[in-house]
Amino acid sequence: MSIDENSQQTLIDADTGTHHQNLTIAFAGNPNCGKTTLFNGYTGANLKVANWPGVTVEKKEGAMKYHDDTFKLVDLPGTYSLTSYTMEETVTRNYIMSDEVDLIIDIADASSLERNLYLTLQLIELGKPVILALNMMDIVKKRGMEIDIHRLPEMLGIPCIPISARTKEGTKVLMHAAAHHGDNAQKQSPLIHQHTHKFEEEGHHRHHHHQEYVMVYSDEIEDKIDLIIDKMKVLYPNLKNYRWYAIKQLEKDREISAKYPVEMPDVIDRSYEDDIITQKYDFIEEIVEECLVNKATKEAKTDRADRILTNKWLGLPIFLGIMALIFVLTFTVGNWLKGYFEILFEWLQMLISKGLGATGVSQAVTSLISDGIVAGVGGILTFLPNIFILFLALAFLEDSGYMSRVAYVMDGIMGKLGLSGKSFIPMILGFGCTVPAVMASRALATKKDRFRTMLVTPFFSCSAKIPIYVLFAGMFFPKNSALVAFSLYVIGFAIGIFIAWISHILDRDKNDNQLLIELPEYKRPSANTIFIYVWTKIKDYLQRAGTIIFISSIVMWFILNFGPSGYVGSGTAGSFGSIVGQAIVPVFAPIGLGYWQIIVALIAGISAKEVVVSSCAVLFGISSINSAAGMSEMVTALSGIGFGALNAYCLMIFCLLYVPCIASMATIRRESGSTKYTVFVIFFQIAVAYLASFLVFQIGSIL
Amino acid sequence: MTLDQAQIGKTYEVENVDLPQELDIRLEALGMTNGTDLDVMNAKEHGTVIIKLRGSRFALGRGITSHIEVKEVAVHEH
Repeated sequence: MSIDENSQQTLIDADTGTHHQNLTIAFAGNPNCGKTTLFNGYTGANLKVANWPGVTVEKKEGAMKYHDDTFKLVDLPGTYSLTSYTMEETVTRNYIMSDEVDLIIDIADASSLERNLYLTLQLIELGKPVILALNMMDIVKKRGMEIDIHRLPEMLGIPCIPISARTKEGTKVLMHAAAHHGDNAQKQSPLIHQHTHKFEEEGHHRHHHHQEYVMVYSDEIEDKIDLIIDKMKVLYPNLKNYRWYAIKQLEKDREISAKYPVEMPDVIDRSYEDDIITQKYDFIEEIVEECLVNKATKEAKTDRADRILTNKWLGLPIFLGIMALIFVLTFTVGNWLKGYFEILFEWLQMLISKGLGATGVSQAVTSLISDGIVAGVGGILTFLPNIFILFLALAFLEDSGYMSRVAYVMDGIMGKLGLSGKSFIPMILGFGCTVPAVMASRALATKKDRFRTMLVTPFFSCSAKIPIYVLFAGMFFPKNSALVAFSLYVIGFAIGIFIAWISHILDRDKNDNQLLIELPEYKRPSANTIFIYVWTKIKDYLQRAGTIIFISSIVMWFILNFGPSGYVGSGTAGSFGSIVGQAIVPVFAPIGLGYWQIIVALIAGISAKEVVVSSCAVLFGISSINSAAGMSEMVTALSGIGFGALNAYCLMIFCLLYVPCIASMATIRRESGSTKYTVFVIFFQIAVAYLASFLVFQIGSIL
Repeated sequence: MTLDQAQIGKTYEVENVDLPQELDIRLEALGMTNGTDLDVMNAKEHGTVIIKLRGSRFALGRGITSHIEVKEVAVHEH
């Protein structure tokens, strides 16, 4: 992070003489406070997602225009507090303390103001200008609550802007406040406290703290803070905001006390963290008492919905029903939409081959383009509708607030496997894509939970495997293709759960179930959030089609058309592919996959699962593999080499269970920080895949 | 009594939390300080409980609920 590049610059436009300011605004807030919706609302889909340097915490950046100014917006991780116990919180507070940030917008869920104000108080203590955005004001009104918007800023000393990120109400005013709060950041609004504070009554001496600081502690703690500040000013003369450092010293904060040791055993005789938190909440109670005029009169809809959705008996069947519905939609509606895609695609293909014919290029080039690139990449694009529906459904689950309920609903079952219900969230996300699913395992409490979840998550069949199921189930089980695809999801699920169970049995020191997760208010998903979520995934899929699948299609075409003797023509004996494939045939024969073409496709499929399908298209020279004509062409080709329905099922089982893709393995390597563990995962997956398809093939052959 | 034995629909006051410091602080940051009231919204037989704490709902596993000492609050006033 370079300071001069990003710090606030006030430039004067030579022509007009107007001021331009480039502010960097950090968005902070609790999880589920609507921060992402608000952030997306300002920046649109143009955001840069990366990791914070050196740590696996996601960093989102975007930019927006405000009149003539450019604001850089940085979305910080959603946190409840700013301790040094977790990576997210350390990253958040260090970034806010850095010179890069000009202003903090603290987004609070106004419908649960009491808990959200805790982070607000901590942010104010950091000493940077803070604006409080009171989000979800529409819900507040609906529930008959009223917040005193005039009293609240008096008590907090910061601007408080009521908004609704979902309806975009007040969001312009918020940015207006941000633009101007930057101007007079130094002078704080007057603090008007009428403390009936129990600590103040006992006070012996006159501090002027109540005029200076929003959060004033008991005299005992304030005295200690003063003493530590004096000492720190001597020891570390170049710091800003000594008060914050002193408070952290009293909390025995890991990071601060290691970085800036002050040997004051008489003053810091124990950790005062407990007292500091309790006194903050005491002050918050005071604020809520004064500013929350009407308490909720209407029972929250969420409580009524939860009575059913998290019901002891109904919770699990409802969840299973929802998952089943998602898969049915993915394969039925998805397949129906797919038909239209194919028409479009075939038309494009015709144009290309006509164009090529007219230019009169050589046979090898025509073959490369039509049998290699068009067949490979194009074939994959027709599966887009299925993938779209799946991610749309997952986006709904996440944005509606249901996802965290799944942690509660599944907690009993996961508890038997020695995992908390929270582990199930990465597993569901695994149905979409293993990469973000593995990253989601960060949220789990212990390292053991994280590693075990990462081991199991890849067995939850990801969306890249959909093309394989659609194609092979469609070809060999045309009447029951959806059922066959569903069976694979169930098998993957069952094997994942079984492996979690085995590893729990082998585990010697079992830990207690420490599930801790917030269950947010249910809400109507925001169209914008859903759109951005789905679009990011679709873009990712298109990008893979344009890169990995594109390149692997060319490579496949090359190794299938060239051999030691040069150009041998389409996929016959003598090509590099067939030589390598045939050498491994004996290994794959017992699992029903002893066909060199299939082996080559499976090896290529390690790069990405869609490649199995695109490779088959290239292997058998089929131009529109996902169309009825293409499928029957391929069935004929496959039955020609003795590949039947049982083999097809074994292939799907193997694809379900073996290494999902290079990207997922790289993610596991990054998240676990262990190459040894990653190598173990790879071999483990291949072993499980081999064993499972071996059993299916051997038993299937007897029947 | 501890929170894992709590009944759905009742309100309890937190008396003591006996958990490793880190977890204890995390809960306190969420507002679970001694003397706070919490409503039990839902519970399962294994001690997994959904509570409403200062207006927010949380699901807590038995490893946590069995270490939270609570006492029942007679009638919840509005």
